[in-house]
Amino acid sequence: MEFYTYVNIFETKGLEYLLLLSFLALFILLVRYLSAPKGKRRVPEGKPPRTTN
Amino acid sequence: MNATAVIASEFTRVVKFFWQELKPRGKWLTPFNVISIPVIVVGLIILYFRFVYGLGSVTNLSQEFPWGLWIGFDVVTGVAFAGGSYVITFVVYVMRIEKYHSIVRVTVLNGLLAYIFYAGALVLDLGRPWHIINPIIGNSFGYNSVLFLVSWHFLLYMIAMAVEFSPVVAEWAQLERVRKFLSGLTLAAVIFGITLSILHQSGLGALFLMAKPKIHPLWYSEFIPILFFVSSVYAGLSMIIFEGTISHRVFRNLIGGHDHHRYEEIVLGLAKGAAITMFVYYFFQALIFIHEERWQLITDFWGYWYLVEVLGFVLVPCFMFAYAVRNRSLGLVKVASVMALLGIILNRLNVSVIAFRWYAVNKYYPSWEEIVVTLMVVFTEIWVFRWIVTRMPVFSKA
Repeated sequence: MEFYTYVNIFETKGLEYLLLLSFLALFILLVRYLSAPKGKRRVPEGKPPRTTN
Repeated sequence: MNATAVIASEFTRVVKFFWQELKPRGKWLTPFNVISIPVIVVGLIILYFRFVYGLGSVTNLSQEFPWGLWIGFDVVTGVAFAGGSYVITFVVYVMRIEKYHSIVRVTVLNGLLAYIFYAGALVLDLGRPWHIINPIIGNSFGYNSVLFLVSWHFLLYMIAMAVEFSPVVAEWAQLERVRKFLSGLTLAAVIFGITLSILHQSGLGALFLMAKPKIHPLWYSEFIPILFFVSSVYAGLSMIIFEGTISHRVFRNLIGGHDHHRYEEIVLGLAKGAAITMFVYYFFQALIFIHEERWQLITDFWGYWYLVEVLGFVLVPCFMFAYAVRNRSLGLVKVASVMALLGIILNRLNVSVIAFRWYAVNKYYPSWEEIVVTLMVVFTEIWVFRWIVTRMPVFSKA
């Protein structure tokens, strides 16, 4: 006969692993959020970027 | 003209030059002078009583509370604020990000002065201050003590920063050959300095490892050296933003037009670094919180106080920095930097003073003399900083 026991997430390291995984996911989101500032100048559509020879 | 005459003539020139530079410049009756001069004078009088009649005559320190405001703020907090120096030199000289080159000199100067004044304030707090030389000269080295490591690191790091800043002094004194020689030492000094900084920023946290029964469990952790190191990174970045904002206004005439233009980009870059570091620091705190099962500790006053520090002065300014970078809001960056600095003060004072012997019936409160001497140290540092930047080529690119 098989017995099933519930894993207490507070007693195991489960919560710590969840926290670390969420940290990694949120960290990537934060870096992406910071890497594309709203106010950055964009090249208008239909106008080719200026090049120098 | 023979060699002796040349040396004598050069010596006379240097003495005349220094004498001219020592003379005060600018207006005397400024709001800063009016406030700082009386504080410095009163502070010096208090220091006279401290050194003649002992610590007990001017401080509320006791056997139960041997470390007070002078250690908690001047040394532990001040050194964290000086962290910007090693962060910026790493970014510029090791990572080769040229954008921040124009702020290297002023940041290193700030770091050097912070160490001289804040770490120097350690002398005030020693019951027998002449013993400060013991770890250096070998009279009772104390190899097993964290203080041994910290004292050596402070000394060596101050020398490393002096070497990093020395080309500016040579340029000011118009000693071109000396400047070239000293510039050649910069990279070695920077690498040496970064190594020392990482170790002693965490070493300051390690000082509290032996005080486990005395520090509230919300602030004590075996990972406290890592927390001190990571927080010193964003403390330093926030301090650069804060000081840069003031310098940009006060010394506007000394900063070139090109740097005015790049100022916004530099501040936003520093804010981005601060946001990322604060995010990492916050998760370290959260991980330690869960790992040490502190849930039951946050239901009383100390728990709420801890949440104020970690949520209000770490997570909130972290989001403020991120939002400000995204929206290119310099005003918000400045507010976030002040909040981050307040958070560092709160954290360091919590560990070393407020939550230290939190169970004691008779609490420690700093005396007015301790507060005046702390202000004196800060004001004197600003005076020396002002004297240097108005004479030496600090704001020009290295």
